[in-house]
Amino acid sequence: MNPLSIQFENVIPAPLADYPTEGQVWRCGLKLEFPARILLNASSGKGKTTFSSIVYGLRNDYSGKVLIDGKDVSTFSLNDWILLRRMKLSAIFQDMQLFPKLTAWENLILKNNLTSHRDESRIEQMLARLGMAERKHQLCGTLSLGQQQRIAIVRGMLQPFHLLVMDEPFSHIDEENAAKALELIEEETALNGAGYILTTLGSRHGKQFDREVNL
Amino acid sequence: MIKKILFKGHLSSQFVFATAGMLIGLTALLLSCQLILDVQSFHESEQELFGPNSIVIQKRVTKFTTLGANSTDFTPEDIESLRSKPFITDIAPFQSADFKVGISEVPGDGLPHFYADMFFQSVPDRFMDVKDVEWEWKDTTDIIPIVLPRDFIMIINYGIAQSQGMEQISEELMLAAKLKIHIEGQGKKVKQVGRVVGFSNKISSILVPEAYLSYMNTNYGNARITAPNRIFVTIVDDSYRELEDLMDEMNLDISKASIDVVKIKTVIAVVIGIFGLASALIMLLSLMGFVQYSQLVLSRAAYETKTLLRIGYSVSAVVKSFLSRLGLVFGVITGLAVLTMVLVKIYVVNIWLDDNGIHLEESGSSPTVVVGLITFLLFVLANYLNIRKTVTRLGKE
Repeated sequence: MNPLSIQFENVIPAPLADYPTEGQVWRCGLKLEFPARILLNASSGKGKTTFSSIVYGLRNDYSGKVLIDGKDVSTFSLNDWILLRRMKLSAIFQDMQLFPKLTAWENLILKNNLTSHRDESRIEQMLARLGMAERKHQLCGTLSLGQQQRIAIVRGMLQPFHLLVMDEPFSHIDEENAAKALELIEEETALNGAGYILTTLGSRHGKQFDREVNL
Repeated sequence: MIKKILFKGHLSSQFVFATAGMLIGLTALLLSCQLILDVQSFHESEQELFGPNSIVIQKRVTKFTTLGANSTDFTPEDIESLRSKPFITDIAPFQSADFKVGISEVPGDGLPHFYADMFFQSVPDRFMDVKDVEWEWKDTTDIIPIVLPRDFIMIINYGIAQSQGMEQISEELMLAAKLKIHIEGQGKKVKQVGRVVGFSNKISSILVPEAYLSYMNTNYGNARITAPNRIFVTIVDDSYRELEDLMDEMNLDISKASIDVVKIKTVIAVVIGIFGLASALIMLLSLMGFVQYSQLVLSRAAYETKTLLRIGYSVSAVVKSFLSRLGLVFGVITGLAVLTMVLVKIYVVNIWLDDNGIHLEESGSSPTVVVGLITFLLFVLANYLNIRKTVTRLGKE
């Protein structure tokens, strides 16, 4: 078990400051304890990506306080965040954030090299399960969005983590492939003794979650 | 793999200009350093042109001096005032013989018969321009070494010898023959043997070792000489103007040849200095070019840099990837500049100097290489700071 806690205390992102909020996150007190499987539900424009970015340390344009394991993240340096991203926090970005000039395989190895978390045969196995084995030597820039999304999902699991933050990771994937991907994610999360946050537009992908939070 | 992501294979015009600028600038800078070193270490013994800046100063003899109204002696205050001048780095009064000296030939040694009154002086060894001769004297030394002014032998051969029907004497004969020295002082007389060991271009005095003169002054001195009237001073480069002012201030007399040397050295130092300054300026521009180039590469790779930091790569790892490529470029340029400098020096500058009759003695190149190394490190450091700052900024965006 790899515990981790995230607390939002009266947080409101600057772009949402002038709008009324009604969910359980913005301008509220929210505490999430991991390992747990959390579904974050919201329609477009409610701040799902903003939420993920705040948790992952990519945005600080908000008021209120965010705590990770009881520590105020506003005191974290860039190096603190980088270390956290390498050892405890992993993310699957909505816009994938892959390197288009590298092949799918190079993108994965680049990430795995940091911590040597998984051996090559396991990575190949993951690719095969998501139907991407034959595309591994293709440049990422030439893959379809759905294919890129599956590479990004595999990459998100090539490091030790306590929490996996996923921002609409299946937005370009059909339900069948999304279900396969979620199965793989649950397996890897369990292997790591970790938890995840999955943001969606409402779909539960046929799964049960430990907790559902509405933005 | 990180380099593959960060450098996208574009050769920008900034890179080409900065590389050319650094190569030209560094070569010129190293060349000026090497030339300054060569000029400074130029000691060709008696053929000296750009030797250490040591000159002999004495007070000008005027009609008042002849009438006994003023003295050409340097008072302790004069010496102290000279010592306090910032452009004078070394000072030593001439020591003069305080006894009567005469020389004649040693019969059978090849010199014609002659007798002449003489006057011995001595200067500290560090001011001697005659090197590599047996100059040490102890009270057990049989033959006293003597250095004559080169003009002296000219006067004998083209003046005295012809007018008195004497044979002319070659430098070789003068160096080979012994001389009899007649000393008279404190009511005592003694005869010693001496030998000319060299000829000085710089000092128009008949020189003997300092230790010998001190010993003889103690034992034969008549206590008539109390203050020195000639002083050796060493001045820093480019101090021609200060020297001129000093001459007016103290009514000094300095040989024109000495002044010319100082003048030439000042001009050369200024010319090389301007050349060095211009090359340093080119280097600075090229450094700015490289900083601009790395900014350009970083801005083109902004997405990649941000993403690397997002997936857990450290700032240092990203900076290292940028810098190792640039460091390699700087290393190659520095190596090429040193090589070009050596080739230009051997095949262009030295040949030109030779054609113009200036023979520079080769001096060590290690200080020049150190200058190259410092420049290399400066380029690496400036780019490191710039890249680190930009990468950190991108990481925080």
